[in-house]
Amino acid sequence: MTTTGYIGRRLLQIVPVMLFVVTVTFVLINSIPGDPVRILVGPAADAAAIEAARAKYGLDQPLYVRYVRYLAAVATGDFGTSIHYGGVAVTEKIFERLPVTLLLLASSFTLAIGTAIPLGIFAAKNRNNGYDHLARVTSLIGVSTPSFWVGLLLIIVFAYYGDLLPPSGLIMPWADPASVDGATSRLDVLVTAASHLILPSITLGTLQMAAITRIERSSMLEVLNKDYVQLARAYGVSERTILRRQAFKNAQLPVLTVIGIQMTTALGGAVLTETVFNINGMGNLIITAVRAQDYQLIMGTTIFFAIVFVLGVLVVDVLYAVIDPRISYGGGSGE
Amino acid sequence: MVPVSDSTAAVGDSARTGGVADADERSAVSRSSQVLRQLNRNSASRVGLYVIGLVTLVALLTTIDADLFDYQFAATFWYHPENDPAGSTILLPPVGIENSFGTGSWAHPLGTDHRGRDILVRLVYGTRIAVQVGLIATGIGMTIGTVVGAVSGYYGGWVDDVLQRFVESLYAIPFLILVIAIMSAFGRELGIAIVGVSITTIPVFTRLIRSQVLSVREMEYVEAAKAAGVRDRHIIFRHIIPNSFAPVLVQSTLQVGVNILIVASLSFLGFGVQPPTPSWGQMLAHSRQYMIVNPWFSIWPGLAILATVIGFNLLGDGLRDAIDPRSND
Repeated sequence: MTTTGYIGRRLLQIVPVMLFVVTVTFVLINSIPGDPVRILVGPAADAAAIEAARAKYGLDQPLYVRYVRYLAAVATGDFGTSIHYGGVAVTEKIFERLPVTLLLLASSFTLAIGTAIPLGIFAAKNRNNGYDHLARVTSLIGVSTPSFWVGLLLIIVFAYYGDLLPPSGLIMPWADPASVDGATSRLDVLVTAASHLILPSITLGTLQMAAITRIERSSMLEVLNKDYVQLARAYGVSERTILRRQAFKNAQLPVLTVIGIQMTTALGGAVLTETVFNINGMGNLIITAVRAQDYQLIMGTTIFFAIVFVLGVLVVDVLYAVIDPRISYGGGSGE
Repeated sequence: MVPVSDSTAAVGDSARTGGVADADERSAVSRSSQVLRQLNRNSASRVGLYVIGLVTLVALLTTIDADLFDYQFAATFWYHPENDPAGSTILLPPVGIENSFGTGSWAHPLGTDHRGRDILVRLVYGTRIAVQVGLIATGIGMTIGTVVGAVSGYYGGWVDDVLQRFVESLYAIPFLILVIAIMSAFGRELGIAIVGVSITTIPVFTRLIRSQVLSVREMEYVEAAKAAGVRDRHIIFRHIIPNSFAPVLVQSTLQVGVNILIVASLSFLGFGVQPPTPSWGQMLAHSRQYMIVNPWFSIWPGLAILATVIGFNLLGDGLRDAIDPRSND
């Protein structure tokens, strides 16, 4: 099968997956006890006002009608309107918050990958000596720590005691200087944005860093023990060249898989990080939506997360095939 | 279904004793004693076993005898702060340390929280939630995931397609959001939390087992069993699942740690088991407002989570090394 054929088949598989996602989400959300309309109109509203609001959001219809309607709407990219945010389209709200979360994810992954890969290689190169043990213990702690606790500790140390970095909020680097406190120039905005980004990125990135370090180390060790590497050593090729030329590239496939898995868990991690640092991103949006019982908003954000995830997995699988030509496009679903 | 529930019990046991109990095959027995010996030689996994043993013991003792420590004092005053017992002091630091509320004493070795409750006692009661959800949810998720994965991989075809798409869709919804939605829909109780976390655990084992089955399926003894007319169910439960047992055991041990982190995250966000029942994540959530005056309140529950999860990770890594000596991780 050709690459395009493979991508096409995988895109087709997304359809049933998303159908399951929409159904599961719809059923779950509609099982939440309580009446979102009552929350919206307040306790003082009379019966007529409640009925009017119910009809306005289509909540007066039976469940299966709402399901079919919702499915049809989602298929055309319409996620409905948010009750909590006064009738704003769910998609509008999502795209308003998305850049914040993307910025956070990008910066935490840059941090995680940038430190984990050198650390993992270094540990593998110095197997079983002090550096290796240090790297192993650090990454063990990293995968075992609750990320939100890391956030709390960072706030205590760097924001309250050290008074070095801000404890909350996030500022976009492209924000208008007039809208940022104490900023007079573009540079000020950039500096402020960076200072706000450091603690949340470490908080979100710790787990990823630890997980990637572990897989990078073990994957490098495996490759370094392969026959062809031993042979290269026997021929007198320097360790440096072996690492660069042969070992590194061949060790990256499992690493890529782990990075892919981490990207998906990072979406969930963003919920926690945004809560700890009071950042108004997608994670915070979804928590607000659940607290306010804003059905459309919960479903919309969840389905949006799922789409991002499914497409992300597809990209990783295709990259996989590009890196490793041995992988055929024919077999199972990406295994 | 018998072999499957057996293997669940074996994982539960091994989490406590470190044993790898397996089916009646003689080779498996000698192999598991070999794995045990390997584990015992590895000091890191011994530490893991001690931590798990301690935490499980504490959870068991406090479950058997709820009043082992002053549970009333640990839990009840949440709704009535004005009922605080005379002489209680809020936000005390640990022994020997001083803050604006006073000096820590042995009466409250780790200090007190914002309601004057002893932090150590609340940590002790918090182990129940962590251990119960961690072990039970992993057990349920592993059992269902294993069966689904085995069926999916063994039959292939449209069965595999449908099951795989369903599992992918469970994967696609961020696990925290999925559990939060389940708990919002069906209640913020311990039982629902366990069900929610088990559901997020299913895909992990389905994937693992399915890839194992795809390789085992082609083995000669499976072909032979098929040719001899052995029923599919028998092949799946008697041959395929027991043969994939080692990686499942390793993954379950690691997964308990992951699930403890999920429960803590849930409680931290306020979607876990509701107060006044003490849980580690909820303690961390409460501590957020008092980080400046008494940072210790934020430090202890995090350390408890960290230590417990490290215990399961050390044991899981040790098991993997013992089962597959070639692995370097």
